[in-house]
Amino acid sequence: MTTTAEKSTEATAPAVASKKKSRKFSPWGLVAWLVGLGFFFPVFWMVLTAFKSEGDAATNPPKLFFTPTLDQFKAVFEQGIGPAMLNSIFATGISTILVLLLGVPAAFALSLRPVRKTQDGLFFFMSTKMLPIVAAILPLYVIVSNIGMLDNIWSLVILYTSMNLPIAVWMMRSFFLEVPGELLEAASLDGASLMRSVREVILPLVSPGIAATALICVIFAWNEFFFAVNLTAVNAQTMPVYLVGFIAGEGQYWAVLSAAATITALPVILCGWFAQNKLVRGLSFGAIK
Amino acid sequence: MASIQYKKASCIYPGSDKLAVDSLSLDIQDGEFVVLVGPSGSGKSTALRMLAGLEDIDEGHIEIGGKDMVGVPSKDRDIAMVFQNYALYPNKTVAENMGFALKLRGVSAEERRKKVEDAAKILDLTEFLDRKPAKLSGGQRQRVAMGRAIVREPQVFCMDEPLSNLDAKLRVQTRTQIAALQRRLGTTTVYVTHDQVEAMTMGDRVAVLRFGKLQQFASPNDLYDKPANAFVAGFIGSPAMNLVTVPVTENGVKIGDGTMELERADLTKISDAGLNEVTIGIRPEVLEISDSVGVDVVVDLVEDLGSEAFVYTHAGSGVELVARCNPRTAPNLADSVKLRRHPDGTVHLFHPKTGERLN
Amino acid sequence: MTVTADTDAAASEEAVAERVRKIREAQDVGVSRAEGWRRRLPLLPALIFMIVVTQIPFLFTLYYSTLSWNLVRPGSRKFVGLNNYIAVAKDSQFWRVGLNTVVLIVVVVLVSAFLGLLIALLLDRAFLGRGVVRTLLITPFLITPVAAALVWKTTLLDASNGIFNWVLSLVGAGPVDWIGKFPLTMVMVVLIWQWTPFMMLLILAGLQSMPRDILEAGRVDGAGAFQLFRELTLAHLRRFIELGVVLGAIYLVNTFDAIYMMTQGGPGIASANLPFYIYQRAFLGFDMGQAAAMGVVVVIFTMIIASFALRLIFKSFTGKEEAA
Repeated sequence: MTTTAEKSTEATAPAVASKKKSRKFSPWGLVAWLVGLGFFFPVFWMVLTAFKSEGDAATNPPKLFFTPTLDQFKAVFEQGIGPAMLNSIFATGISTILVLLLGVPAAFALSLRPVRKTQDGLFFFMSTKMLPIVAAILPLYVIVSNIGMLDNIWSLVILYTSMNLPIAVWMMRSFFLEVPGELLEAASLDGASLMRSVREVILPLVSPGIAATALICVIFAWNEFFFAVNLTAVNAQTMPVYLVGFIAGEGQYWAVLSAAATITALPVILCGWFAQNKLVRGLSFGAIK
Repeated sequence: MASIQYKKASCIYPGSDKLAVDSLSLDIQDGEFVVLVGPSGSGKSTALRMLAGLEDIDEGHIEIGGKDMVGVPSKDRDIAMVFQNYALYPNKTVAENMGFALKLRGVSAEERRKKVEDAAKILDLTEFLDRKPAKLSGGQRQRVAMGRAIVREPQVFCMDEPLSNLDAKLRVQTRTQIAALQRRLGTTTVYVTHDQVEAMTMGDRVAVLRFGKLQQFASPNDLYDKPANAFVAGFIGSPAMNLVTVPVTENGVKIGDGTMELERADLTKISDAGLNEVTIGIRPEVLEISDSVGVDVVVDLVEDLGSEAFVYTHAGSGVELVARCNPRTAPNLADSVKLRRHPDGTVHLFHPKTGERLN
Repeated sequence: MTVTADTDAAASEEAVAERVRKIREAQDVGVSRAEGWRRRLPLLPALIFMIVVTQIPFLFTLYYSTLSWNLVRPGSRKFVGLNNYIAVAKDSQFWRVGLNTVVLIVVVVLVSAFLGLLIALLLDRAFLGRGVVRTLLITPFLITPVAAALVWKTTLLDASNGIFNWVLSLVGAGPVDWIGKFPLTMVMVVLIWQWTPFMMLLILAGLQSMPRDILEAGRVDGAGAFQLFRELTLAHLRRFIELGVVLGAIYLVNTFDAIYMMTQGGPGIASANLPFYIYQRAFLGFDMGQAAAMGVVVVIFTMIIASFALRLIFKSFTGKEEAA
């Protein structure tokens, strides 16, 4: 009697557990873990190496266990990473704000109040993204240098805005399209003007989407290298450019290079991790329904 | 509170070739509960939305309280609407949802709260005032949608199939609540549904629409007893009225292998119209099973509803007839019985081609 | 009787059609005037900004491409018409590099889409720590490309102390000069590593948006797992895979960082792609005219491919909106 009772509770318990988290050991789960760790390995190794002394860094066989040190990070900071960091923050932050200021109204116009030429507008935005930037870099270089804006962080701000605007408009448009039309109708019947409806009804609904878009813009702007390396020199260099310059100086010293690389890459990686769900949402471009 | 007039109002959806609503004319009294009913595609929702300002009035006029609404945007029409999917603001609490319109009008927070609480009490929503819509059940959300409309104390209530997302039992319950509420508030209400039972039980008057055109606008009783055409006759009443097109004989009409006699007056009307065929309409409760006289039919199906039973039969020549009978004495499947018209029962006559009522 | 009924019907049909026509005329006019401009207004700032910053420079590029102009020899600018284009056409290096570019895009996109599909399938079922694995997997997409290229070049692929060679030595195989011997391939490996997570996320979104009841119906109908996948899942995923391929290709056209960091295009031009080659011409060789002409050629080719791509995205997306 007691044994059958125990058995039945055992049978029901896993059914309940799997609703929350699958504690079942599944072979495919293991494979997934291996794949995940494999993909993550280079990043792991980069961060690990950053804590090594130079002697420990370039050994054969590679060392997994060692005494960690913060010397490399100290060295990187001493070599003056501050300005580059500020430049990156400035360029990324301001360009993302500009993208939102320009892009949210544009996405709104292209989604909620379509006119006949809507498709054309969207088409145009996407097509600017397809223009290889290499074709524009030459005149941009000449123009920027002629107006004396070489090695000025604002050039990057403008260019990053133009780089991210198409994707931002595309993404935000998809979020706007998800707002049920009925909500707007209800608001208008309640007496709300368009501006009021936007502020009180639409924006709260769309704000996770806008956050996701901003995150993607931050990632692409921070990591951008081509414009930065060609249009900046000493004053306006961003983190990626600084990193490359660092290599020129440090060549074969892997540990300190890893430290510099880690500092360069870490902010965006952390952003991406913490806002992961928003990121996934944004990347799926509202293709999920 | 206001009267509403549709004056030959029409509407076409942009990009479409068809008139969604075709020259609709309705005269709705102040305080009346009017139901727009019809099958899907009949234009009933469109007609409602034209009233609310959500669709353009492309032709004709709509007047509320004597004022023409052509060109007047929704927010200036003082109309409250209950949507089929409720359209509650997801990021606002129930109280904020209900108070939104008042807030827009600049009503003080004090007064807003009082009005919202009053409405919540009527609708049994007081315990949910601080919740967001996502945490409510379907029935609760429906009540919030109603609450949002009531709080505004508008001239007109518009309701677009507000019960269609509720389960059957809740639907019946809420139906009576809505009707009682409207009677208590006295606000002119236009209510859209595809369910003719809702129409018949809730409306002071009912407008039947089909393909954008008005078929008949009358009280439920009038619709039931004197349908203006074959469509209305077949649409109102469940199970539907028996409608068959049959040849005319000297004394009546030929149904199956037998003849059903008609009144003198009716026969005159048929011959005046020069018809040798006519569509007759007989409600199931007017047909009874008889031992002696009547049309020979074979029983296909018996639906026993407990309080009454409906017998589905077919006569020779494929004519199908439904009759009501006492469930205790209902015939069995495949029985051959006779159906005859109850002597006091009404026979409706319609033109076989146009469907217009003849008698 | 029947005659009049028919002609009556015909006459009223005409009357109806006439009313419809009048209304539609009024509708068309109604929206496109003031309301239309008001609706377009929020779009204008973004639109103008994009035109100024992207289109105008391109016009300049067209202009430069008709000049013979070397930046270090000021005063040497002169109009030479299409000479630069002829030189580009004759430049066998240019075409070699073009081939590299195409190979790079095609291989990276296809391989990362394929791997992304496999990994998405793995992640589609729940298992312990699925969220953590997803976090690990998106990291390559987040890391700064130059930093990633640096790490791969030094700690992983280095001929003497890199991890790859260390692993090889465990099974007794000799050390390989990865970057030296397989420059383009190694660049592609790094790009695949970075782009697979992107594809994976898109496809996973597709998998999770698929209604399960179709699969259940299929199973009841007797379909096996592989058949279900091929007939139902893959069909649903097609839209997402296409989107990933198109977007990936767009970004990969501009690949620059990895090549700059890992191989500098070398040896020779073995691992150079068009952006890098043009960059060399312009900023290292200072030959603006030639570089501009190359840029224009690249744009023309990209536009041809892009027009197919845009049509594809729009078809699959407006199709979805219609279906929804």
